[in-house]
Amino acid sequence: MRSRSGRFSFIEFVIFVAVTFAVFCLCVCIGSVSIPLTDTLSVIWDGVRYHLGRLGMAVIQVVSGSGAEAVGGAGTVPGGVSATVESTGAVISGGNGVLASWLAAKPEGLQASIILSVRLPRVLCVAMTGAALALAGGAMQGLLKNPLADGSTLGVSSGAALGAVIAIAFGVRFPGLPFAGTMVMAILFAFLSLVLILTLAYRLDYSLATNTIILIGVIFSMFVSSLMNIIVTFAADRIQHITFWTMGSLQGASYQNALVLLGVLMLCGGMILRRAQELNAFAIGEDNARHIGVDVRRVKLVILIMVSGLIGVCVSIGGSIGFVGLVTPHIVRMLVGPNHRRLLPASLFGGAVFLMLADLAARTLLNPIELPIGVVTSLVGAVVFVVIFYRSRRRS
Amino acid sequence: MKNRKFLTAVIAVMLSCALAACGGQTGTQQTTIAAAAEAAAETAASAQITAEEVTKAAAEETVAENAEAKTEASEEASEAGGASAESSAAGEVSGPVTITDMLGREITLEQPATRVVALTPSDCEILFAIGAGDTLVGRGEYCDYPAAVLDIPAVQSGAETNIEEILALEPQLLIMSAMSQTEEQAAQLEAAGVQVVISDAQDIAGVYTAIEMIGKLMGRDESAAEVIDNMKAIFAEIEEKSTGDGSKTIYFEVSPLEYGLYTAGAHTFMDEVANMLGVKNCFADVEGWGAISEEQVLKRNPDYIMTITMYYGEGPTPEEEILGRAGWENVTAVKNKAILNLVDNELSRPAPRLADGARKLYDFVYGEDAE
Repeated sequence: MRSRSGRFSFIEFVIFVAVTFAVFCLCVCIGSVSIPLTDTLSVIWDGVRYHLGRLGMAVIQVVSGSGAEAVGGAGTVPGGVSATVESTGAVISGGNGVLASWLAAKPEGLQASIILSVRLPRVLCVAMTGAALALAGGAMQGLLKNPLADGSTLGVSSGAALGAVIAIAFGVRFPGLPFAGTMVMAILFAFLSLVLILTLAYRLDYSLATNTIILIGVIFSMFVSSLMNIIVTFAADRIQHITFWTMGSLQGASYQNALVLLGVLMLCGGMILRRAQELNAFAIGEDNARHIGVDVRRVKLVILIMVSGLIGVCVSIGGSIGFVGLVTPHIVRMLVGPNHRRLLPASLFGGAVFLMLADLAARTLLNPIELPIGVVTSLVGAVVFVVIFYRSRRRS
Repeated sequence: MKNRKFLTAVIAVMLSCALAACGGQTGTQQTTIAAAAEAAAETAASAQITAEEVTKAAAEETVAENAEAKTEASEEASEAGGASAESSAAGEVSGPVTITDMLGREITLEQPATRVVALTPSDCEILFAIGAGDTLVGRGEYCDYPAAVLDIPAVQSGAETNIEEILALEPQLLIMSAMSQTEEQAAQLEAAGVQVVISDAQDIAGVYTAIEMIGKLMGRDESAAEVIDNMKAIFAEIEEKSTGDGSKTIYFEVSPLEYGLYTAGAHTFMDEVANMLGVKNCFADVEGWGAISEEQVLKRNPDYIMTITMYYGEGPTPEEEILGRAGWENVTAVKNKAILNLVDNELSRPAPRLADGARKLYDFVYGEDAE
């Protein structure tokens, strides 16, 4: 095997990380309200210092608290040990002083609010949503050997959206956890719709042939969208909320959302990335995969479940955002080739970059008006896709 | 063999047509079935004629009913105690009325309408405000004010407008707005013999026009004039008492952060009322309603926030939710807790209650003591 068809080389990895990080910085620095670059950086630096300092203080308090306990309980212990404990205490309080001098005041004011409370969490969420959707799309396309496969064509997104709409319409909430109602329902319904689609597909075609799944997915999406209309009719008083929600918005994304996304991305994304080699086998053909010893059904099941987890969380946080999962893997494939060990991580970065740029456009183009992000992704995505497709076809 | 197949197919198609025609919601199913049976015997064209005949018969009945209803109504009006001679006369205006509706179409009624369907909430509100609520025989599904309107049969409106459902109520007059209904719907209803009048108020002056127009149609010119004068008086009073010079700003929140911020910009009723109060809408550069950037709200730092988010009784109230938003703690309105939650659509519907909404906003900005 040539090095080109192997896994990601270190340099390539560095390049992808660097590009993603550069785009991330760009998106944090540009926004509806323009803030000078130096101010942006200093606000972020102060924020990081403040939170690191607080974290350090908390750690020291816990450590010194246990230290004091140890001292208190050391009455019967010989003097030597207690002296050691005391000296540790001194070291700790010394460290405390150093930290206190380094500790920045909590950044305040308009710029800090905009950068730290509004823009940064939003860009983080957008980046991870893009990464998750693109990864899910890439995995689907490889698994089903179908260039049109995506969370939306499979019906998982619609299922997740149905769950979230039910949560909004009937007020499913969990006390103390904002957004949890829609999120849990979205993930649950993503899983349920997946189980339904798979069961149906198994009944019709035991080997889970690709066409069967896609067909059932499309039919399921239509069925779900009419169910959603019925719910909207019943919950007429919340029609406004539901309408706004289905248009999708990453406005109001918080650090908690980002944390949830990160967790899901590490868990589900990690599981998918570990299956890259098996996906390569699938790309040649299901029979081929079976013949070289891949547990076809098991791998399919794992990947489909991980994908529904990713999509459920994304949908509950940002609504249904189309085109990212479909287009990004195609674009990325033209850059790094079809090997899933390269394609999947590249999709991860590519999706993040694509959605961050789309969101940047949505936020700034019609200032102070904000466009729905789905509009931008479809518009840009479709054009980019056609251009790339056209060029590559002409060349070959 | 082939012929039989063809015949079977034709019969199946005809049967399903008949079924579809009878499956509607007109309620006069027996007549329809009879008509359909005749239609099956003859051609499609004759079916149409039959249908037209049925409609005509129904229309004749309606006229007879209307005459009765009319006499009752005028009896009631003359019996109404405490009303001055003039106002009872206002209720008895009869003879032909001619108006120009808000799409510029000239409309003549033989006499003031007594059976009305109104699809838009604001038109229902106007009808009740001028004392013609009892003429409503149907309302759009989103009409919810005043409470009495909920007892009137609801029909679907907007994109789901069901023409059959409306025809079954046998209205003489249907009032709808240009914004949420289409011209095709108006044409269809008019082809079916229902007079359609279109209201299209874009500003407070437009609301006066709509009230005056509906008043004329109902033969209640004077009540309409009273409602308008009352609104004008309240607005004038508020405008006079307002001391603001436009230095304070207000942010109108139509959709909360969770679903993406929406605001009411220039040329909305909220904007117009804000100007009246001498308070500046901080998104006056946005035309109409629009999705806006959260960063911009923080930057524009409004002194007051008015939200129209509904509260469903669980989770934080809309005010609490705004007060708790990350990064909003430096906004003046949040610091001062100057947040008003207006939940009854007073300032979003082109109806007489705009005056109530304006008064509430005045009380909120200048304090109730100022009254």
